[in-house]
Amino acid sequence: MDYNRGMISEERLKILTESAKYDVSCSSSGSARKNAGGMGNGYIAGCCHSFTPDGRCVSLLKILMSNDCVYDCKYCPNRVSADVPRASATPDEIAELTVDFYKRNYIEGLFLSSAVAETPNRTMENLLLTVKKLREGGFHGYIHLKGIPHADASLVREAASYADRMSYNVELPSESSLKLLAPQKSKESLLTPMRNLAAEAKRFREEKRKGAFLPAGQTTQMIVGASPETDGQILRLSQSLYRVAGLKRVYYSSYVPVVHDSLLPDRPVGQLREHRLYQADWLLRFYGFSAEEIAPADADLPLEYDPKCAWALRNLHLFPVEINRAPLEVLLRVPGIGARSAYKITEARRFARLTFEHLKKMRVVLKRARHFVTCDGKFYGAKSETAVRGLLAATENRNAVQLSLFSDEENALKALTGEL
Amino acid sequence: MIYFTDGSRNGFLTAFVRAFRDEDAYITSRQKQLALGQESAFVEADDALAARAEARLSAIDRRCLSELDLLLRSGADNREQIAFRYFKKIAQDRRPVRNLFSDDAVLAASECMRRVTFEIHRLHGFIRFMESASGALYAPFSPDNDVCDLLLPHFRARLPHFAFVLHDVSRKKAAIYDGKNSFVAPLDRAEVLLSADEQAWQALWKRYYASVNIPSRERLKQMRGYMPVRYWKFLPEKNAPEL
Repeated sequence: MDYNRGMISEERLKILTESAKYDVSCSSSGSARKNAGGMGNGYIAGCCHSFTPDGRCVSLLKILMSNDCVYDCKYCPNRVSADVPRASATPDEIAELTVDFYKRNYIEGLFLSSAVAETPNRTMENLLLTVKKLREGGFHGYIHLKGIPHADASLVREAASYADRMSYNVELPSESSLKLLAPQKSKESLLTPMRNLAAEAKRFREEKRKGAFLPAGQTTQMIVGASPETDGQILRLSQSLYRVAGLKRVYYSSYVPVVHDSLLPDRPVGQLREHRLYQADWLLRFYGFSAEEIAPADADLPLEYDPKCAWALRNLHLFPVEINRAPLEVLLRVPGIGARSAYKITEARRFARLTFEHLKKMRVVLKRARHFVTCDGKFYGAKSETAVRGLLAATENRNAVQLSLFSDEENALKALTGEL
Repeated sequence: MIYFTDGSRNGFLTAFVRAFRDEDAYITSRQKQLALGQESAFVEADDALAARAEARLSAIDRRCLSELDLLLRSGADNREQIAFRYFKKIAQDRRPVRNLFSDDAVLAASECMRRVTFEIHRLHGFIRFMESASGALYAPFSPDNDVCDLLLPHFRARLPHFAFVLHDVSRKKAAIYDGKNSFVAPLDRAEVLLSADEQAWQALWKRYYASVNIPSRERLKQMRGYMPVRYWKFLPEKNAPEL
């Protein structure tokens, strides 16, 4: 693999990385791309190569081709009116960086995005040129490509044919907020290309063509807390993105005030809210819940309990369930029992009746679950509903403080006073 | 009685047969302090006996011998004993028991195997190659479990045109791929002459690592949970002066 030698400078790498880091998507899963005679392949389960002090994983080389944007989205550090250092990289530089990082096993592949430099088409062409260069140079590692809104559909389709995953960020949870905060983007400029790509992938499958079009599918991201939408609304949007648009993941990014604007809140959103949304998102994707069950449209998720706990407390008439008899989908609805524990329980009970001691030894977390199950007919939870609520809320608070999920003073104070 | 083995697979299987009816058996390949009056014996590997045991076990459970391979790679001091109790359970029950999680022996074996396979997965991410002047890639590391050769298929598939060395520095052995074949060899110390650009690429990587972090959201405990400190020694981004 020979590219024009010329390593990107540390300074430009720094600018282009810092501009890209608020995009939270990091996963490298879902693609089983084969190494066809060059370097690299897909790792279906995904692979984390490092972890940064903020607790996030480094899986892909996450970088912008340019942070020199003509758009003026209010929340974005790279908006045209922001006074920040600007930089850009050439397709050769990005390709060389990717290959040399990949070879040393620093990364699983490339996450390539860009500010809208000059025009959407010009920007998309640059992204396309980069991924094409990489693939034609024999690179078969993971590539996640960001779609540029308003770019030509044919450019997008061609770029997507080289990528494993593609994403358009819906940015904000409603059209009105988008209009207010990202005036140059419209709902259609984001949703139409998503639909086109999904249709192309479907055609690909139906014609049984070799390989796969976007094997790892599409994802999206929205900022939470920069606009007034409730968690209930957000989850309904996510649900339709999963069910109708067929997305693989929706990422939530709690709002961090990197720029000041009268239209934006000054305070960051507590990361606890983001955490709760992710928990609810998992319930949508893996636990058979619907958004309607998790939260009413006009309400936020409760902060004191995780969403499954909150659901169970609203539906106490369904509990307790017997560990030895409850079907898998019922076990998955027990607070504290995850997919792994549920699997262990259903396997182990084929051999023997399970007791509370068995569950403990199997490392099933019983702190929450014990209030909602019986083991071989015996109940080990608290006697009254009030006691259950008290115990669950208390444990949650301790955890939350330990993990320092409260990034702002207001929430930290609430946690101390017990209001939260 | 304590049964000492040479640590080999056949050594274990021989001891397994000899100790099978001994209620108080403890099999180990490590040095172990004997309690007063405790009997012990060194079990010489008996290949024929081991082969018969293998055949019988695999007739009951076809997958269990590959599990034995994983268990014996564990870095746990009591790995032979964990394997012994698990295989005794298989032989006594005369059926596969891998999901009988209510049994202590099964649970211990399952946890032990999970630690080995999980470390392999982790190392797929945490291995760091440096480029030598000849273009070959060299990665020193110090895993908890004896897994260096199990990393070969993954990296061979990714980097078929590069020779590379995966050097387990604590066990003084290496899994080596020469561009055509791969093999395991003892390797005490390696002198590696780095390529001209290697330092610069490492510097770029460190710069990247420092830039992609969001300092206002520090969660060190989470980072250490996902990436335990014992792996840091060989990660350029974690053992360099802060940028």
